[in-house]
Amino acid sequence: MTDIITMLATNWISIIGIIIGGICIAVGVHFVPVGGAPAAMAQATGIGTGTVQLAAGSGLTGLLAAGYMYMTLSAVDKPGISEIVLICATGAVGAMIMISVTMIVGNWVYIYGVGVPPASAKVDYDPLTGDSQAPYVAAGTVGQGMPTVCFVSGAIGGLLGGLGGSLVYCMLMWVNGDPAISSIFAIGVFLVNAVLPSYNIQGTIEGFHDPKFKRVPKAMLACFIASLLCGVIAVMIPGAGGF
Amino acid sequence: MEPAMGMGIVALMGAAATVAGCSEDLESDIGSQSNPNSQVQLAAQVGYPHRIFNKAISGEPPSNAMYCAVGAGVAMVLMSESVMSASPLIAIAIGAFVAALLNGVFSTTSYMGRNASQTRFNQYVYLDVLRNQILSLMGHAYITTFCIVLLSYVMWNQDLIGHPFPFPVIALIWGLCVGAIGSSTGDVHYGAEREFQDFKFGAGLNAADSGNITRYAEAGIRSSMDNAWFCSKFGGPVTGIAFGMTVFLDNWRSTAFGGWVSVAVGTAIVILLIIYNRKIETYARNKYGPFPEYAGDIEA
Amino acid sequence: MSEPTETANQIDAKGIIIGLVGIYIAGIAAPAGMPYLAFLAGIGALFATKMGADAVRRVCSYGIGTGVPSIGMLALGMGIIAAMFGLAFGKMVHAPFIGPIVGLALALAIGFVVGSLANKIIKLNIPVMERCLTEIAGAGVLVLTGFSVMIAGSMDFVVISEKVITTGYIAPVFILGALGILHPFNASLGPDETQDRTLIHAYSCGAIAMTIGGFCSIAAIGAVAGLITTVVGLAIWYVTFMGFVKLVKRDAGAGYVGTGLLPPGAM
Repeated sequence: MTDIITMLATNWISIIGIIIGGICIAVGVHFVPVGGAPAAMAQATGIGTGTVQLAAGSGLTGLLAAGYMYMTLSAVDKPGISEIVLICATGAVGAMIMISVTMIVGNWVYIYGVGVPPASAKVDYDPLTGDSQAPYVAAGTVGQGMPTVCFVSGAIGGLLGGLGGSLVYCMLMWVNGDPAISSIFAIGVFLVNAVLPSYNIQGTIEGFHDPKFKRVPKAMLACFIASLLCGVIAVMIPGAGGF
Repeated sequence: MEPAMGMGIVALMGAAATVAGCSEDLESDIGSQSNPNSQVQLAAQVGYPHRIFNKAISGEPPSNAMYCAVGAGVAMVLMSESVMSASPLIAIAIGAFVAALLNGVFSTTSYMGRNASQTRFNQYVYLDVLRNQILSLMGHAYITTFCIVLLSYVMWNQDLIGHPFPFPVIALIWGLCVGAIGSSTGDVHYGAEREFQDFKFGAGLNAADSGNITRYAEAGIRSSMDNAWFCSKFGGPVTGIAFGMTVFLDNWRSTAFGGWVSVAVGTAIVILLIIYNRKIETYARNKYGPFPEYAGDIEA
Repeated sequence: MSEPTETANQIDAKGIIIGLVGIYIAGIAAPAGMPYLAFLAGIGALFATKMGADAVRRVCSYGIGTGVPSIGMLALGMGIIAAMFGLAFGKMVHAPFIGPIVGLALALAIGFVVGSLANKIIKLNIPVMERCLTEIAGAGVLVLTGFSVMIAGSMDFVVISEKVITTGYIAPVFILGALGILHPFNASLGPDETQDRTLIHAYSCGAIAMTIGGFCSIAAIGAVAGLITTVVGLAIWYVTFMGFVKLVKRDAGAGYVGTGLLPPGAM
């Protein structure tokens, strides 16, 4: 029993890291413009898939990049704070690349395949470019494609998701030093923190300009508690060499 | 590793990913998986029973993650020294074959289950629809799984890239990623165009027409397999480009550069993509103009 | 949704009891020189899969806003951490046999907390959310523990970590376990869904996971034990799949046709 208390006492910083990572993932999910099923019929603005799947797809792609970077850096020395920052930045950029590529190709399909200009129905004018939106929304739909504001918002979402996933991975690596255990736990923590916010936005959101974005604090609170639980448990699991 | 060798490997992975993305999208189009499935599911409920394949295997990302993880797991068993130390290529081929069999089982149960659950709307379970499409679904799933497991193997192998994650976990993550990309890019071509082919081009689906999918041809000479014919002209290849680009760009920047330079290069790529998106957005707005039905007072 | 033929309490009791008993027999017998009984952990996981599938069935009959799959990914995400903590805890206090129970208890607790978070903070307001999420998380832990014990032939965390996690066999187990819980209801979505058809489908999905897990355990325990698990899994899969097809015939009635045009009145 004393082992466990010692582990909690020595790894408290990892718990905090996991919580911060979890909250980053939760906020990131709110930034990603997802239109859910209607978007796949060009019936709603955003990417035509589910929130969780898209966040997981991008965040975990970032995790792969972060895992590789962690290995490269730890070959020299046990990674400290500055190395962690670099690893998280790598993961964040990896996730950003995945989501930006997905959005650009998604827009190709909307523009060249379906023949519609990207437009949002939640705002009259694009907050970033000032372009009018309403005249470009097809009848009977609530927008289509990813206008600039959604694209930028999505890139920010990918950044936060990748950052959170990589941070959780680094914190777990500090505790158990085993990439296999850390990667599968990071996937677990990621999924928990991606699903709760997606309930919060009920599956669809356009980005930071969407009125639903105001619900962020609720998701942050929920994910704080959920990540706290996951973090406390996860840091008590030593690697196989820890016995 | 030699830089030239590293670049070659990254290019090979990108090529494998491009093929995987394309076949993944066509597989989901033939089976009407993922989000366009909502319309196929809705059609019978609003009075349009159909002969279109209807499968939903827990969403595209988890199902592709499943095929790839199983393919990699089976390959890992065959390659391990305690079993038969098979050569990686054979092991991956057998692994992908097992994954394709699972695809067949899961597709069968979801086609039968979903249609049987809509009996009250006069939706039949057509066994010939099942038999006709299932092999084509399994074939596409085989190609997808083979390519992704292959690229995961290249990433994991200690002599090539040497990623620290276990081989099946890498395959699981790439499977999740290809599913997410496929359902957000290529499926739109199927959902917004092919499913509503008899509606006018140049607009998304009007909510009033929800469920009124194109289904007369499928009751006669065509079948869901023709979705691959339609979508392989645009939706499939662009999905391949998207997944190939993700794999290539992400690995290229970490192989060719190191540390903060790779972060800077990645950020530059993202900024370029944002600018390019703005370009095609303006192009589309100028080319297509506002919708004539629009009656509000905001100027275009 | 039709009237259930089995109540939730019956399914939960069977899932937890058979699940734990299977894991314990396998986990005790295998290190004691009887690795051939490892498949019993898989049988336990099969019943746990069914318990999860029934919970998904009940909670998803309310609109949860974002599709069926997300709830299972949530549960398995919590489940994997709780399952591994349980096993590691058993190792730490030098009593490996309390592992699965600790994991299960912890998962039930986390599931309840997350269910309450979803209802109270995020305000989903689904009356069965707490209970169903508790059940799905519990099922997730039993499935993951069961298949891990089955593949490794041991309840020792060090053995499992070496044979299941480091080799990566946890990945197919994780996702097949998730699909076993999600796919049965998702594949039968519709107003004429019936409980017995969904649940027999859960057995069949669990059996697929068992077959693949058995194949992986050929590399982890040995050829004989692995093949026994694979063959038992395949046999269960065949029987339950045929049972599923039979129930599809029953539910589809006259609509189960070899071929044909659209039904009368639909053209």
